[in-house]
Amino acid sequence: MYAFEYRRPATLEDACKALDSLAESKPLAGGMSIVPVMRQRLASPAALIDLGRIDALKGIEVPNGGLRIGAMTTHFAVSRSELVRSKIPALGQLAGGIGDPLVRNRGTIGGSLAHNDPAACYPASVLALDATIHTDRRDIGADDFIVGTFSTALAPTEIIVAVSFPPPDTAAYIKFINASSRFSIVGVFVARSGGTVRVGVTGAGHHAFRCRQLEATLMTAFDPQAARAVRLPADELISDINGSAAFRAHVIPELAARAVEHCMAGTSGAIV
Amino acid sequence: MYVGKPLPRPEDFRFLTGRGKYVDDIKLPRCASAGFLRSPHAHARILRLDASRALKRPGVIRIVTAQDWAKAGHGKLVCVHPMPSSDGQPMREVLRPAFAAEEVHHVGDVLAAVVAETRYQVLDALDAIEVEYAPLPTLSVTARALDDGAPVVHEQLGSNLISEILRGDPSLAKQAFARAAHVTALTLDSNRLAGNPLEPRCYLASYEPETDHCTLWATTQVPHMLRRWICKYALNIPEHKLRVIAPDVGGGFGNKVNFHVEVSTIVWMSRELGRPVKWTATRSETLQSDTQARDHATEARMAFAADGKILALQVDTIACLGGYLSNFAPSIPGNSYPQTITGLYTTPALDLRVRTVYTNTVPIDAYRGSGRPEATWVNERLLENAAREMGIDVVEIRRRNLLQSSDFPYKTPVGRVYDCGNPPALLNRLVDMAKYKELRQEQAELRKEGKLMGIGIAAFLDKSGTGPSRQLSTRGGLHGGFESATIRVHSDGKVTVLSGSHSHGQGHRITFAQIAADRLGLPIEDIAVVQGDTDQVPYGNGTWGSRSASVGGTAIYRASETVIAKARRLAAHLLECNPDDLDYENTLFFVKGTNRKLSFAEVADAAYHGASYPSDPGFEPGLECTIFYDPPDLNDPQAMHLAVVFVDERIGRVSIREYYTVDDCGTMINPMIIEGQVQGGLGQGIGQAMMEHVIYDPDTGQLLTGTFMDYAMPRASDMPPLQSDYLCVPAPSNPLGVKGGSETGTIGPPAAIGNAVVDALWHLGVRSIELPMTPYSVWRAIASASAGEA
Amino acid sequence: MATVEISLTVNGKPVVSDVEPRWPLVEFLREHLGLTGTHVGCDTSQCGACTVHVDGVAMRSCTLFAVQADGCDVKTIESVSAGNELHPMQAAFRQHHALQCGFCTPGMIMSALDLVRREGYELSEETIRHNLEGNICRCTGYYNIIKAIGAGAKAMRNASAG
Repeated sequence: MYAFEYRRPATLEDACKALDSLAESKPLAGGMSIVPVMRQRLASPAALIDLGRIDALKGIEVPNGGLRIGAMTTHFAVSRSELVRSKIPALGQLAGGIGDPLVRNRGTIGGSLAHNDPAACYPASVLALDATIHTDRRDIGADDFIVGTFSTALAPTEIIVAVSFPPPDTAAYIKFINASSRFSIVGVFVARSGGTVRVGVTGAGHHAFRCRQLEATLMTAFDPQAARAVRLPADELISDINGSAAFRAHVIPELAARAVEHCMAGTSGAIV
Repeated sequence: MYVGKPLPRPEDFRFLTGRGKYVDDIKLPRCASAGFLRSPHAHARILRLDASRALKRPGVIRIVTAQDWAKAGHGKLVCVHPMPSSDGQPMREVLRPAFAAEEVHHVGDVLAAVVAETRYQVLDALDAIEVEYAPLPTLSVTARALDDGAPVVHEQLGSNLISEILRGDPSLAKQAFARAAHVTALTLDSNRLAGNPLEPRCYLASYEPETDHCTLWATTQVPHMLRRWICKYALNIPEHKLRVIAPDVGGGFGNKVNFHVEVSTIVWMSRELGRPVKWTATRSETLQSDTQARDHATEARMAFAADGKILALQVDTIACLGGYLSNFAPSIPGNSYPQTITGLYTTPALDLRVRTVYTNTVPIDAYRGSGRPEATWVNERLLENAAREMGIDVVEIRRRNLLQSSDFPYKTPVGRVYDCGNPPALLNRLVDMAKYKELRQEQAELRKEGKLMGIGIAAFLDKSGTGPSRQLSTRGGLHGGFESATIRVHSDGKVTVLSGSHSHGQGHRITFAQIAADRLGLPIEDIAVVQGDTDQVPYGNGTWGSRSASVGGTAIYRASETVIAKARRLAAHLLECNPDDLDYENTLFFVKGTNRKLSFAEVADAAYHGASYPSDPGFEPGLECTIFYDPPDLNDPQAMHLAVVFVDERIGRVSIREYYTVDDCGTMINPMIIEGQVQGGLGQGIGQAMMEHVIYDPDTGQLLTGTFMDYAMPRASDMPPLQSDYLCVPAPSNPLGVKGGSETGTIGPPAAIGNAVVDALWHLGVRSIELPMTPYSVWRAIASASAGEA
Repeated sequence: MATVEISLTVNGKPVVSDVEPRWPLVEFLREHLGLTGTHVGCDTSQCGACTVHVDGVAMRSCTLFAVQADGCDVKTIESVSAGNELHPMQAAFRQHHALQCGFCTPGMIMSALDLVRREGYELSEETIRHNLEGNICRCTGYYNIIKAIGAGAKAMRNASAG
């Protein structure tokens, strides 16, 4: 890969200073997204600021009943956390299905969200759970955070510090797994809080999105058959070697229906 | 007795402790690094190539292109296994070039090579080479290769046809179809695959000017053949000036048999520069450069009598060979495929046409199964569809058509004679093991609950033990089918076996030691096996086509016979008796009826220090034998697979609940090794069935599956619960009775699982399924059936 | 190219070295420390042939830079056996014919050991299958690897108890 400078600051403040002072620098979290891209010489940041030693970015807390996950918390830690299991088991389920054990040992929620791969799992969950992304300088609501393909509302030197999730009444995540990448062909995260239902979809568009049609249907009746009956237009969806837009349009309501079935059964989801 | 025992492998210690020695592990002082500039276009004219900026980059030593290759007087990467057309016309041959000169013909086609001090400098230099292309119309869909108006890959040929092979008797077949009670027809394309051995290809050449000698460490399955090809065809150098060593090789599967583009350049550069040069492929490079596999477009029909007996098979296949001809490629659809197309059934008439074609894709060549998975997919899918259409149980229709053991040796409509077997016994065992009747009951019950369970079978033939050299040369083959073996007894009675085969995971060291130990009557600990070094081992044809046990093993067996016969004669001389008066047991020669004895070690000792040597001038000192064994025939392993699947029809996901295999691989020298081969083959067969697919954009020829992110291969969680059994009929063509055992795993799964999926969805109108059976493929099949397009 | 000095422990031995930041850890191990037991099988961080342990946790050494390992305790396949004695997990692999060409094997062993660390000595077949998703084998079809890991884990428990 191309040469770059490397810094490993001990504090968030030092990390911010480094990003400001070094031109074309990028934060490095678990490296699961950015390093493979760099190895293929498809990206060449001039400097990497490794966040791995900043303790303030790690850890899971439950401040005021919500769930707050530090940006540098690994997928493995989220999947094993009793706090996550008690508050939002579907989130633990999701984390436990990301990639493979080696990815989960290193990959982080902050890194995944900042990279915003259109088929990554976390983006679907932040949309469905109406999460807040806390950065070094502001808070960003999930709906505003996800902007485009591999692109977010983050400024070039902005660092995610933590992500907060208000616990829903019930939630589930169905990941329709892609056999080669181990990402999702389509992933659907359904969450209900009171009368509000949010449905986050990944893998089907240029970035994760909320499926308003399914949300409206499920708010009328939180019922799997109702979800199954939804006909989605294919025009905004992607076609690739894993399936056409029409296939994805067909699959999304089916996965949502299964997520609802899991919610009703009190289980948190599945990989299909 | 060692043969028949599941003995563990001596090389495991090295591999388990990280002390394997693969080519990239070898470090030499002053070693330069090489890299290759590859075309990003599938078909384009090269207007301009300017390496001047690149040459100025730090650390760059040399940059070479097609012009330099020609100026150096180098030759061609010859096709060693051609297949002329049936009308006698030679193939319309365009060989893979070491460097593309005027046009590029596939993504990944090599235009230049860079040698620099470090790998990073090579990459920077490659970035700095300027190339101007004029893109040309691209053909990347095999089924369209012979359409009117299709883009032509090699303009000078006028069309994309390479050769046309016709087998069988079209008029006999036509008559059979005319009087048939039932005809089943299907489109049965075979998906394009990449072998992807986990170790990427790597070549390290080290030329020493002082001795004018070059050593090449290569990831190859065929060290001697590679040496010969580089010396004779590519670089025109004397063979004794090149030593090829294949150390530990991390998987091959046929990918590492070929005369790949890069290797000759690495040797050339080392010779030019007088220092070691190494190239290690990245995975993305292997996906653009290692030969790929399968890729057939097939329309086929089978004709039946009212009782389900096969009357005829008609197959029309367009087989893709890629942008250029690779070494063995034409023989796979041209010979291996026809030879197994009728499978294990009595087939009175055959009409087979195979047309091999160029497309703007990476060249195709051998990959585990080579032609037999394609053949089985055709034969078995037609048979089971017909069974369902005619209301005959799929096991029953096989009973009515399978060759009986008394039918062997059986001459197929293609002319190949199958040696031996007992297909009905295999079927019985399979059906018993799987509890077929209960499965059908379960299927019916679950159907009432709306659950879609399917049961599918594949019964098939493999072709292995290549093979009689004469047979190969009648097709114009430029390589032999013999195998070499040296049994070298040392002066202390220990033995080294030198074999011209090459293990890249198949456990030859233990298997060959078992054969030699039994034949020599020695403890297995006294036997070492050496492979993979052209300086040590006499000329061998390497490992591919499941030939090592039957051909290499027999060579070892025969050489051992000669050695033990000589040891006996020497023992008789030393014991002053007739050789017939000697018994040999537990490494001791006994004079019958006495207590006079000599150990094998003592005989070996005498053979090498000559003090008590016979004065007979015909009796040489030493105790060693080298033979080159040419087998009299191929052999025909058979197997049957049964798959039980569930289809989640709303998302198209197929899960395999259980899988059964029964193999006839002849004598099993080491059952543990064979089981490992069957299971490993299944990994790749299930891969082809469920997920593996090299995909090119149909318009631009861009490779859409350029990394493991897009090319799926099974993980542990993708493999189904498995039960296997073996019912072996010894092959008549070798004294060990061995048939090949390592490819059946790849042959059965597409057909067995395909049949099971169609079985599960038959009532929805599904008759056909495209490989691989991804969720998208299955969903499309269901969708088009319900739209009435089945 | 500007280098950075790193100081780490590799297989129990202290190592001090100047590295370019862009060198993946696997390159540092293979090219500069001569530890060629860790292999490179892909370029998209998927195959797992490069698996090592860093501070006791399994990760892909192709996806970590050598500079990131500064101050860390790195263990490669070469550290697993003690002298000429195979570790119980390695012995189980041999016993169950869980390797053929050997190229994926070091990564498999390192992942297997990490699995035992995370999930304990009693490993169900399903747990093992699910946790091998990050290690590709092209030769074995995985069946014997799964058997070996189950047996190896049990043997590790017996070894630690005894």
